[in-house]
Amino acid sequence: MPVVRIPTPLRPHAGGVDKLDLAGSTVKELFDRLGEAHPALRERLFDGEELRRFVNVYVNDEDIRYLEDLETPVAPGDEVSIIPAVAGG
Amino acid sequence: MPVDSLERYSRQMRFPALGKAGQEALCKSTVAVCGCGALGTVLANHLARAGVGKLRIIDRDFIETHNLQRQILFDEDDVASNLPKAEAAARKLRAINSTITIEPVVTDIDHTNILALVSDADLILDGTDNFETRYLINDAAVKLGKPWIYGGVIGSEGQTMTILPGETPCLRCLIETAPPPGMTPTCETAGVLGPAVSVIASFEAIEAIKILSGARAALNPCLIMVDVWDWTFRQLKIANLLGKVDCPCCKGRKFEWLEGGQGSHTTTLCGRNAVQVAVRRDEPLDFPELASRLASFAEVRHNAFMLRFAAEGHEFTVFPDGRAIIKGTNDVTRARTLYSQFIGS
Ligand SMILES: [Zn+2]
Repeated sequence: MPVVRIPTPLRPHAGGVDKLDLAGSTVKELFDRLGEAHPALRERLFDGEELRRFVNVYVNDEDIRYLEDLETPVAPGDEVSIIPAVAGG
Repeated sequence: MPVDSLERYSRQMRFPALGKAGQEALCKSTVAVCGCGALGTVLANHLARAGVGKLRIIDRDFIETHNLQRQILFDEDDVASNLPKAEAAARKLRAINSTITIEPVVTDIDHTNILALVSDADLILDGTDNFETRYLINDAAVKLGKPWIYGGVIGSEGQTMTILPGETPCLRCLIETAPPPGMTPTCETAGVLGPAVSVIASFEAIEAIKILSGARAALNPCLIMVDVWDWTFRQLKIANLLGKVDCPCCKGRKFEWLEGGQGSHTTTLCGRNAVQVAVRRDEPLDFPELASRLASFAEVRHNAFMLRFAAEGHEFTVFPDGRAIIKGTNDVTRARTLYSQFIGS
């Protein structure tokens, strides 16, 4: 299965885990599964059906915005990362 | 510059990719360090030691004891002396390297002053702790065509990315809009580790040295993400975002922060139960005059850089440019009221 990596600030919304193994063949399908298991996490990432504008998603270190956005295909072993903006300093 | 004055840089000049030519370029460079907190002190320390010819250190804040855990240029004496960060940093940096020019500027960077603060710089460095200032830096850098380096840290993890306007994606290509307040943790709410800051600021510093010494081909084109607790290091490929994303800033050349449409002059200082009220003045505040007005009901302390007093359960720190940080409230309107009650507008 593809794995979705959860960034530290969002782990409290994902039962404390740093990654989730989820079934699906596109990024959208993975996030649908994620939303069923952890609705509060999905709420943090999505505004309706759209990703929030300050959340970026990468498949194997490539930004999905220049792949096929949420329709980007994923295969077993692929790593999907949620990258939040980091404010501090 | 005489040859022997470069002797202090001999160990880095022996690094072949820098060399004497690179060092001479560093010595002729001007850098604006925006923000002199955790990231900014590490950045300024590296660049002063490396011999960057002129460093402008811009910061609006003063030093508190809880800064000392990670803000490496400051010590307990600076806290006791009520020095602004920019001034305390300048004193340390001059002791580290007296052959370069250090220009401290105690001010809040905003859309009215940023172009003047960065227009002569070869490079702008992000030592800030908030997105409002970062988008403002991004607007200014893209408008002026100057390179800048973004860095952010929280907890044990951080990000950095180098922006060459027109050649690489800008901050708005990467993150179109800042997260709303409360949606992302701050150093006050989530904590931050000193070594994590040092790692990110050191990455910023090495990219700065490459840009200033003419080694742009060696720059890292990725968004770098590091977690020093989990030992993860990732390089996310973002180069293709340029041109792919309909960026309002670097593609549309709409500079919303620079034009003042974004950002505000009265801001809550997130997680600190404090509000900053910025009332710009043409002339600096007259501290002795203000102190005498307040003396009947408050104990007032002031030096050349700040005036501090307590009133109605709030601590006020006032700067010569008319800005005040009012502790004990997160209410912007209340803070404006207190400002006009005690300081006047
Ligand atoms: Zn852009």
